[in-house]
Amino acid sequence: MLQYNELSADPNAQTLKSIYVYEAPVRLWHWVQAVAMVVLVATGFLISYPPPSVGGEASDSFLFGYIRFAHFTAGYVLAIVTVLRIYWAFVGNDYAKQLFVVPLWSRQYWREMWHEIRWYSFAADKPLKYGGHNPLAQFFMCFVLMVTTFFMIATGFALYGEGTGEGSWANVAFGWVIPLLGDSQAVHTWHHLGTWVVITFTMIHLYAAIREDITSRQSIMSTMVSGYRTFKD
Amino acid sequence: MSAYETQGFRLDDSGKRVVVDPVTRIEGHLRVEVNLDGQNVIRNAVSTGTMWRGLEVILKGRDPRDAWAFTERICGVCTGTHALTSVRAVEDALGIDIPENANSIRNIMQLTLQVHDHLVHFYHLHALDWVDVVSALKADPKATSEFAQSISPWAMSSPGYFRDIQNRLKKFVASGQLGPFMNGYWGNPAYRLPPDANLMAVAHYLQALDFQKEIVKIHTIYGGKNPHPNWLVGGMPCAINVHDTGAGGAINMERLNLVSSIIDQTIEFIDQVYVPDLIAIASFYKDWLHGGGISSQSVLSYGDIPERANDFSAKNLLMPRGAIVGGDLSKIHEVDLRDPEQIQESVDHSWYQYPDGVKALHPWEGVTQAKFELGPKSKGTRTNIEQIDEGAKYSWIKAPRWRGHAVEVGPLARYVIGYAQGNPEFKEPTEKLLRTLDVPVPALFSTLGRTAARGLECSWAAHKLRYFQDKLLANIKAGDQSTANTAKWEPSSWPKVAKGVGFTEAPRGALGHWIVIKDGRIDNYQAVVPTTWNGSPRDSKGQIGAFEAALMNTPVAVADQPLEILRTLHSFDPCLACSTH
Amino acid sequence: METFYDVLRRQGITRRSFVKFCSLTATSLGLGSAFAPRIAHALETKPRTPVLWLHGLECTCCSESFIRSAHPLAKDVVLSMLSLDYDDTLMAAAGHQAHAILEEITAKHKGEYILAVEGNPPLAEDGMFCISGGKPFIDKLKWVAKDAKAVIAWGSCASWGCVQAAKPNPTQATPIHKVITDKPIVKVPGCPPIAEVMTAVVTYMLTFDRIPELDRQGRPKMFYGQRIHDKCYRRPHFDAGQFVEAWDDEGARKGYCLYKVGCKGPTSYSPCSTMRWNEGVSFPIASGHGCIGCSEDGFWDKGSFYDRVTQINAFGVEGNADRIGGAVAAVTGTAIAAHAGLTALKRARLDHGTGFDRNGEETGQRRDPQGGRRPAETAAVDQNTGRGA
Ligand code: HEM
Ligand code: HEM
Ligand code: NFV
Ligand code: SF4
Ligand code: SF4
Ligand code: F3S
Ligand SMILES: [Mg+2]
Repeated sequence: MLQYNELSADPNAQTLKSIYVYEAPVRLWHWVQAVAMVVLVATGFLISYPPPSVGGEASDSFLFGYIRFAHFTAGYVLAIVTVLRIYWAFVGNDYAKQLFVVPLWSRQYWREMWHEIRWYSFAADKPLKYGGHNPLAQFFMCFVLMVTTFFMIATGFALYGEGTGEGSWANVAFGWVIPLLGDSQAVHTWHHLGTWVVITFTMIHLYAAIREDITSRQSIMSTMVSGYRTFKD
Repeated sequence: MSAYETQGFRLDDSGKRVVVDPVTRIEGHLRVEVNLDGQNVIRNAVSTGTMWRGLEVILKGRDPRDAWAFTERICGVCTGTHALTSVRAVEDALGIDIPENANSIRNIMQLTLQVHDHLVHFYHLHALDWVDVVSALKADPKATSEFAQSISPWAMSSPGYFRDIQNRLKKFVASGQLGPFMNGYWGNPAYRLPPDANLMAVAHYLQALDFQKEIVKIHTIYGGKNPHPNWLVGGMPCAINVHDTGAGGAINMERLNLVSSIIDQTIEFIDQVYVPDLIAIASFYKDWLHGGGISSQSVLSYGDIPERANDFSAKNLLMPRGAIVGGDLSKIHEVDLRDPEQIQESVDHSWYQYPDGVKALHPWEGVTQAKFELGPKSKGTRTNIEQIDEGAKYSWIKAPRWRGHAVEVGPLARYVIGYAQGNPEFKEPTEKLLRTLDVPVPALFSTLGRTAARGLECSWAAHKLRYFQDKLLANIKAGDQSTANTAKWEPSSWPKVAKGVGFTEAPRGALGHWIVIKDGRIDNYQAVVPTTWNGSPRDSKGQIGAFEAALMNTPVAVADQPLEILRTLHSFDPCLACSTH
Repeated sequence: METFYDVLRRQGITRRSFVKFCSLTATSLGLGSAFAPRIAHALETKPRTPVLWLHGLECTCCSESFIRSAHPLAKDVVLSMLSLDYDDTLMAAAGHQAHAILEEITAKHKGEYILAVEGNPPLAEDGMFCISGGKPFIDKLKWVAKDAKAVIAWGSCASWGCVQAAKPNPTQATPIHKVITDKPIVKVPGCPPIAEVMTAVVTYMLTFDRIPELDRQGRPKMFYGQRIHDKCYRRPHFDAGQFVEAWDDEGARKGYCLYKVGCKGPTSYSPCSTMRWNEGVSFPIASGHGCIGCSEDGFWDKGSFYDRVTQINAFGVEGNADRIGGAVAAVTGTAIAAHAGLTALKRARLDHGTGFDRNGEETGQRRDPQGGRRPAETAAVDQNTGRGA
């Protein structure tokens, strides 16, 4: 079982200059999913608002078909790397588990969360130092991003299964989502709304990453490239 | 309540109360109670609309461009007419002109509805009030054939054909499972047709059932389906392409030909089956002239079928427009749907509530707020009504009035107004019919007259279909293929506040929709529907509506068989889903 | 008793063409020719099953659609295939003679009759928004449902609620599966459903003496298993990216895809694009208007029929996904900008007050009265535990 104390404002971070946090598969997954999501958002909007009509014979063009194909391909990629990432949560290092297990039961977690909130609202002068995620980031990563990712995969494949039809794996595995959310059009709407969650998350994510990189005296951006978190003091 | 006089009728509720609920072979839910005197003559009539869905409430806050689809679902029988009225109301509010082709297509849609609705009404909703199905078993197919051939050149009139039908009927009856004919009033002395005529009518009941599905294909071609075809604010959604690539996806030559051929078949069926049957049946009932109600006093028609697009003045409307009140046929009043003094609805006897102190409202100011309560004299309980108290609120139908008058609307109203205007398209066929039946003009003001006017109108509408289809073709030939005006499609192009009114002559009569648009959304939507007029409950002055008036003073042959009540009510073709909406 | 076979024979149809009819029926039901003899046998021998057709809050378009059926003809269904003993719209009897039929059939054919429901019961005002025989329709519905063998929910009214159940649903109109909970219900949605779908569902039940296989939402799979879009003839234009951009534009005249003007074909389950309407003459899309999704649950409350990105009504918020999501993103963006600004400000102040620069390096200009200790240590480390405070 994951020990909260080992991961949070962790002692290692107090003593070491650098920690190996993100193993190669995590880094690879991160960048693949980031690219997939960018493609999904872009093609997703094109699906909602198709580009101006092309002329000529219908059989001469497959423009919208390709846009949708790109979406579905990126959707598959996202789903596959997400599954692999879950696997890595079991076999990877402790930091790899942070996305999926948030120590909500720990008082210390909440104390540090409070500190992090104060830090973000300028009430505290400095953040705590972490190898992995700070409590606030971890919370968002798990409960906003990962939940949304699962939701987008479930709704995405439910919609995909409408095309592949009764008995296709997507329909069997995710078809139940449709009546759950009402009907097919409602699933589109929720899937579309989820897109905005992804966009909003990414905005915050990028801002926080850049900001922390500058202000928190620890490496952030380069960590997702090299895997090492380095501390500047 | 004691006896009182209104509109020339003496209402007396002292006799035996008879309840008919449900009234069947109509659209929706209707209850009727009458009081019979010692001679079984109706001396008091109470008609109660027993359903309400709240469409006017539901429409609030919605996109005006969607309203046609909602209002179309007010009724699947007069399908399309509310949608047309709705797009006209929105276009009126926003000042949108539609292309000439769209006008022709809309007229074709509306006329198709008229023809279809009248035909189905006559055979499948009304005929069993005049035709005794069981008596047809006794007919001689040969004599039936001779009779049929004597009144019409219609081809399917051989003895063999009628024998087949009769055999089928015999087997059906012998099966002991009478289906829709179970517990009918067969053998009632109010039935007057000889067996041969009954057999012919039953045969045509079945033929009409087969044929009606052909007529509506015109809706399917221009509107995509029937019931409930599609419409569009600004025109029609069916683009026309008769010359170019891709014409397969639009109204092309083949589609136009299909409409044309259906129109030809329709004219033939109406003129060779419906109209002759109507005359034949009427000739056996021409001294049963009850049920005129207020048709000889007060009638109203808004007019419809604009010859040219976007002109809704009376002279451009092929269906007559006007109001007659007080039985003065020499004076035809102008009708203005915008005038707050002319059309008003009250709810004294309806299950609705107006703000304090408000008696009657013009639809632009209309309020729809349900309030269900039974009067102190009603019998039974709140959820098990044994007898209605007509002294209190007693119907889900509001009470519309034209300058304070209860009026009758519908084919008879249109024919009376057309006749009074001396419009040859309406006057001549009416006179011809009166001559054929050898009855005087006042005979028109009766149950039978109402039924006859509907038949004449059906034929008129069928021929007008041909006229507008030809007109459409001519306009396309002249180089105009356009079907929609999208200049004001986007709500950003609309004024902040706009008011509009749209009207049609629906199969059952004058139909109006009043809309108020605010910030691109519906702020108020009010429909006053043909059956709202005809099925109206009393008003504060105790004036009765057309249904109640028509039932008055009618003798009933067998007190617990409501055959005559049904006959007269059916002559209006009641539509309760419409009336209350 | 007259059977369907009798009817056909009497109309001069030979045994051979009767068998052919049966195999055609089998094929059109998607059953394969092996089923033809079973259909033939059923049609030849069965007495007619009583059908009681009740009307609640509705517009009667389902009845109207039903009588448009071409194969089988409505006439033949009613006269020869089933026994339509009660139907407000068509029956000869009225008032208490009509009521007597219900009493008789429910008693005599207990557990054998089919209940077909058009429209739905309103529950508000004790059900008195729809009254029949002086009582709320819901009473009649429950009573007749009690001993029915199976129930058919005609149209979107009975299946989902339809227009009268659209917000704010003033009468509390309720789909029938919410009030009849102990009977198999076959939903045949559509506003209205296609005529031949209606007659096929009934004849299927009569022929095979069972209800058709239903999908997750209770609709017969054979007709509601695919979307309009899956078999729409305009699909090649969709894939190509050729759309009607505005009404009556060039694309409209060429029959391009109606997606951009709001077509709900991609989200609507109904056989409109395959069976089409009124003997295959057309269907909404083929006549130039997008599908409005009339077979779908709650299609009235999804916002405009002309938008693809439709309305969402959740958590008390109304608006479309882009308006809601866009607003959230915009607020977030603004917040980020403001936060970034404040951060820069704060850091500028810190630089002067702490003696450390942006990178935490000593600036030698420390003004901190506590002296010496780095802010991180002050803030983060609990003196007793050495851990974060
Ligand atoms: C971050 C993840 C995703 C985003 C941001 C995203 C975004 C979108 C958007 C905006 C739409 C248009 C919705 C509409 O307005 O109708 C859409 C449609 C769709 N998405 Fe996704 N999506 C994501 C993941 C997925 C996944 C994992 C799949 C699975 C294959 C998927 C499959 C689909 C399908 C099938 C459609 C409907 C396409 C159509 O009807 O033509 N999506 N997506
Ligand atoms: C749609 C786009 C993106 C998504 C969904 C996403 C998601 C994530 C997630 C889930 C993590 C946590 C990884 C873990 O704990 O295992 C993470 C970390 C990180 N991401 Fe992203 N990311 C996206 C784009 C980006 C981009 C564009 C950048 C940089 C330019 C970036 C930089 C980082 C960094 C630096 C970390 C490590 C944070 C840390 O050190 O704690 N991400 N991202
Ligand atoms: N009353 C009425 Fe209608 C008609 N005709 C509509 O306007 O029937 Ni359903
Ligand atoms: S489902 Fe639609 S068409 Fe059928 S009765 Fe209801 S409103 Fe009318
Ligand atoms: S017209 Fe509608 S159903 Fe047909 S392909 Fe386009 S979006 Fe799909
Ligand atoms: S609107 Fe209805 S009729 Fe079919 S094409 Fe769409 S489901
Ligand atoms: Mg009204």
